[in-house]
Amino acid sequence: MAAGAQAAGGTDWRLRAAPLIGIIARHRVLAAVIFLAVFPWLAPYKALAVNILIFGLFAMGFNLIYGYAGMLSFGHAALFGLGAYGCGVPIAKFGVPWFIGLPLGVVTAGLASVVIGWFATRSRGIYFAMVTLALSQVVYYVVFQWVSLTGGEDGLRGVNVPAIDVFGAHLSIVDPTVKYYLILAIVAAAMWVFSRILASPFGAVMEAIRENERRAAACGYDVNRTRWLAFILSGLFSGLAGALYAIHLSIVPIETLHYFTSAVVLMMTLLGGMGTFFGPFLGALIYLLLQDVVTVVTVHWQLVVGTLFVLLILFFPRGVWGSLTHWASR
Amino acid sequence: MSAAPILEVEALAKRFGGFTALADVTARFFSGSLTSIIGPNGAGKSTFFNLISGSLAPSDGRIRFQSRDITAEPQHRFAHLGIAKSFQITNLFPQLSVLENVRVAAQAMKSRFDIWSKRENYRDLVTRAEELLATVGLAARRHDAVENLAHGDQRSLEIAVALACDPRLLLLDEPTAGMSPEEARAMMDLILRLNQERTVILVEHRMKLVMGISDRILVLHHGRLLAEGAPDDIRSHEEVRRVYLGQSV
Amino acid sequence: MTLDLFLLQLFTGLALGSIYVLLALGLSLIFGLLNIVNFAHGQFFMLGAYVGAFALGLLGNFWLALLAVPLFVGALGMLAERFLVRPLYGRGIDYPLLLTYGLGLILLDSVRILAGTEGIPFPAPDVLSGATDLGLFFFPTYRLFLIVVTALVLLALWFFLEKTPYGLIIRAGALDQEIVQVLGVDVARVWLIVFGAGVALAGLAGVLAAPIRGVFPEMGIPILVDAFVVTVIGGMGSLLGAVVAGLLVGVTVSFTSFYFPQTATLSIFILMALVLIFRPRGLFGRAGALG
Repeated sequence: MAAGAQAAGGTDWRLRAAPLIGIIARHRVLAAVIFLAVFPWLAPYKALAVNILIFGLFAMGFNLIYGYAGMLSFGHAALFGLGAYGCGVPIAKFGVPWFIGLPLGVVTAGLASVVIGWFATRSRGIYFAMVTLALSQVVYYVVFQWVSLTGGEDGLRGVNVPAIDVFGAHLSIVDPTVKYYLILAIVAAAMWVFSRILASPFGAVMEAIRENERRAAACGYDVNRTRWLAFILSGLFSGLAGALYAIHLSIVPIETLHYFTSAVVLMMTLLGGMGTFFGPFLGALIYLLLQDVVTVVTVHWQLVVGTLFVLLILFFPRGVWGSLTHWASR
Repeated sequence: MSAAPILEVEALAKRFGGFTALADVTARFFSGSLTSIIGPNGAGKSTFFNLISGSLAPSDGRIRFQSRDITAEPQHRFAHLGIAKSFQITNLFPQLSVLENVRVAAQAMKSRFDIWSKRENYRDLVTRAEELLATVGLAARRHDAVENLAHGDQRSLEIAVALACDPRLLLLDEPTAGMSPEEARAMMDLILRLNQERTVILVEHRMKLVMGISDRILVLHHGRLLAEGAPDDIRSHEEVRRVYLGQSV
Repeated sequence: MTLDLFLLQLFTGLALGSIYVLLALGLSLIFGLLNIVNFAHGQFFMLGAYVGAFALGLLGNFWLALLAVPLFVGALGMLAERFLVRPLYGRGIDYPLLLTYGLGLILLDSVRILAGTEGIPFPAPDVLSGATDLGLFFFPTYRLFLIVVTALVLLALWFFLEKTPYGLIIRAGALDQEIVQVLGVDVARVWLIVFGAGVALAGLAGVLAAPIRGVFPEMGIPILVDAFVVTVIGGMGSLLGAVVAGLLVGVTVSFTSFYFPQTATLSIFILMALVLIFRPRGLFGRAGALG
């Protein structure tokens, strides 16, 4: 390895970067939060930065089921979308305050993931993706039809949270900077919880099942139940992202529930690097920045996304962060 | 050796579509014994093992472990019951380290759904994993990647992982497969040591190895039980000689 | 419900089911042999409709257009398999799935660029328009045509798989890929043809459905879901399952559209849920076909 690296002239940055990457990996939550704290000053505009936070959280939740537990779900739009509607409908239609709406969104997504997860984990491998897609489309159709509650095709309007009162401070989230840091606080807390889950005994079980399902079962692990729990946890994080999304936009477009959104979060996770801690946020960042730039030039964003998908799968399956850590460890 | 059978199978059968892999096998295994199952290729040895270790569900018959009917138990219950198997084709957790392979196997007995504690808090699991690695002689390689292990070491790791759940009944599916004669002898010594604390059932190809160490031998042929008994009885059994020794051993 | 009404609904369901059968057959063929879930299936359906519309405009003949579609779409599918999908074999079951999804997006926007976003007309030929007297009731001739064409395709497929040596290779390969390879068969060629045939079926479904559903770029998006539901119900990789489930779903939609129009779409998901509860591998799925 070393000889090859020297021949390529790449030794220098590898040797210097490796210890840094090691430190970052050990204190990952802190590193991520620090980066995200200064990020809004680097981003082109704050609303984009907020989107990156939200979709990063969504992708992080998705990564739990795909990168760590090894199950490809094509139905996470339902969990994200139900988090959004579950938070938005009470706020918009029933005047509920944000600190009730947010957990309601999470709970709605959680309940959906219990049901969808139960059905989906009865199917293995190749079926899992199809079943999750089909079941999430059920949610799409139901919400689409239930116009009186959800606004149907036009989406939900009126999720207005002008200000948040916390610890005696009245913070107006109309100011994008304030909004960003408030959402960052919630996302940071979620990241910490996520990190704990990964480091827990359950995290080890997920890894073992991903590595060798048969052996894990022979060791005494209930594979179906583990997968179900992983799916539920994944749904809770995705639901939280959805709830924040509703508050951020003040509306919930029906497209959040369509399987295209499931593909978007999958793309972000792949782009960043599945099964890595930073990958999802990095992926969200790259995807949203790219989308921002490309849609100015052309309306054919799907063509770009499709091509990106194909190129990623063929040449870059580890994603950006995944490739970096892979090179650094050699 | 106690008189109570720790494992009993009754009229055990397994069919795959039109093909009968195992038919009408009835046998008892006594606590603390070391039994070997031999037979030509395709005799049904691995199928039998898969049935008594929970990997396959029987088409017919019953399985009783410690007097309890376990025929319908799902695979993941077997380790908790006290039955563990090491696989014929090495079946480990490829990306995990040698130590983690055993540690996570041991963890199944302690904690399967704990999403909040830190893994390191379960120090006794690490200790146990290290003890098991020492037992099979892999202590020095605890942090190595599985893919870097030599074949013989991988077979030893197989056994360590199987031992992690502290089984009363240990099933070893061709533990010396692919090993050199020295490695195979070392493995047999290990198996004898393990037999001091638990019942062992062995599937083996190498007749000479098992003759020396087994209390009893079962011979399978075309999915049926051809003969069973002490090694000397089997050695002189006419049909066994014809069937088994007719082919080169 | 009177007999003639019942039969009318039944036939409507069979016509609808015919489209599902063709879709599910293609999907199951590709999965059975290549172990790939084709996430671009809906877009190949859409492509078939567009190719048919253009062929119709170019050649002025519906029947020629009908012939051209599976050939063209199949050829495109073979190109995709050869250059995009084949490099992924052996890399895990997720990668081809994801790649086909990306391919689907490329097809979607490409059609939008080449043919516009509004959709184009696709009239049924005069000989097939109107209704036929089936004794107890009148039935739209075109839908009858759908049923007949699908039955012919099924017959041809059955004949090919059961009676020709190539079909034997495909059936053997679906059961055990390794053996087929060891026997010296050019497996790559088989994969190429099967993938092409699978998407050709989707394209055929698209052009056949065009006079009824119209031709517009987004037409394939919900089709993917329908195809998956039918395949889960029938059992992935099972051709018999594709046929039975396709017809079952078509008939279910037809009858629930009559009684509970709001929930017609939901009814097939309920069917799928029931299958997942009581027979997770599908009605005709193989026990070992999962994970």
